[in-house]
Amino acid sequence: MGDWYVRPAVLGLAVLSLVSPGILRKPHTWLALAVLTAWRIAADWPLADNHIYLLGYWCLAAAIGLRKGEPPMSLKTSGRYLIGLAFACAVAWKLILSPDFIDGRFFRVTLLTDPRLVGAAQLVGGLTDAEIEANRQALEPLPEGAQRLEPLPIVESARLRGFAMAATWGVLLLEAAVAALMLLPNRPLIEAARHVSLLTFCFTTYAFAPVAGFGWLLLVMGAVQVRSSQRWLRNTYIGAFVVVLFYSEIPWSGMVLDLFRTA
Amino acid sequence: MPLRVLPPVLLLAIFTSQIVLVRTVALTPWKGGGFGMFSTLDHGAYRRVSVIVEAPDRSERVEIAPSIEEEEARAVACPSDRLLRRLAVAVAERERRHERPVSSVAITVWRVEFERGSLAPEERALRTFVYDARR
Repeated sequence: MGDWYVRPAVLGLAVLSLVSPGILRKPHTWLALAVLTAWRIAADWPLADNHIYLLGYWCLAAAIGLRKGEPPMSLKTSGRYLIGLAFACAVAWKLILSPDFIDGRFFRVTLLTDPRLVGAAQLVGGLTDAEIEANRQALEPLPEGAQRLEPLPIVESARLRGFAMAATWGVLLLEAAVAALMLLPNRPLIEAARHVSLLTFCFTTYAFAPVAGFGWLLLVMGAVQVRSSQRWLRNTYIGAFVVVLFYSEIPWSGMVLDLFRTA
Repeated sequence: MPLRVLPPVLLLAIFTSQIVLVRTVALTPWKGGGFGMFSTLDHGAYRRVSVIVEAPDRSERVEIAPSIEEEEARAVACPSDRLLRRLAVAVAERERRHERPVSSVAITVWRVEFERGSLAPEERALRTFVYDARR
């Protein structure tokens, strides 16, 4: 929520909005939140995560929608375009702008070195603790461009390499699907596919990606697309919100790994 | 132009400016609002700085103190002149507070690249910035 001078204002507005629906529906409340979010991004530059930018756009969209007096329809449209464009940007980075995603390097290295993903790498790839530690050393560079005469070997099972490539293409295709479906014109089948793709993304991605705040924001923007008659779908979004909370608080992959080891 | 298009237009404008900053001042694609997170290994975990402080009879590599780690994180994420200078000034001021001589601070930002196929790691210099601390 930003530095000490932004946090009290954001929390204060949030509390006032909770106790007073009138304040919640005032465009000025959301405009103030958008300005505070922009202030936080500027003060933290360049360290703010991408979902803070998305939060700022979303608060601004809410302020504009409430000003027009048509908040549900306006929020639906803004939410759809914001999710679609954010995912389109993410796909552009992965597919065109980054040199090390499509060839699998990103997931191969990340699975072996990121402590949050090592449990999953061991589960799927069958690597031992010693192999993970040896890989960490092998992927640690010598300082300032020096090269080892004999490069240290990297242990990668075929399953782990397959998992890295599946993750590479799976993430890319799922993000491209979300982007396309959100940006396509409204049709009953497309609306259903939007929810399926976004919920699939949140259920799978946030099991590994440690950015629950991003997941919750996407789920809120997705839930806005739900019609009032679709109670089961609204409840699915609420369930997904809880599942993302579970992912962020419980080291589930390590627990499953321990379970396999003791079995 | 209806006001409701403002948020998506802002998103696209910041995405475009983020690409420019990545290409010109080596901003990490993970930051800057362009949604490039989880797309590349070029991020904070694979970047670092080295700092060399020089003075008459002194040329010494110094570690980043916890009090200036935030300035370091900013410079690592975006090694622009402005952020590198801020880090260099913070280093020089700290040296002076500890009564150590300083006439210049040289900061190099390094990035790890992994070879396609073998994944062999190699550290490459992204930028070097020298701050004249005598002014």
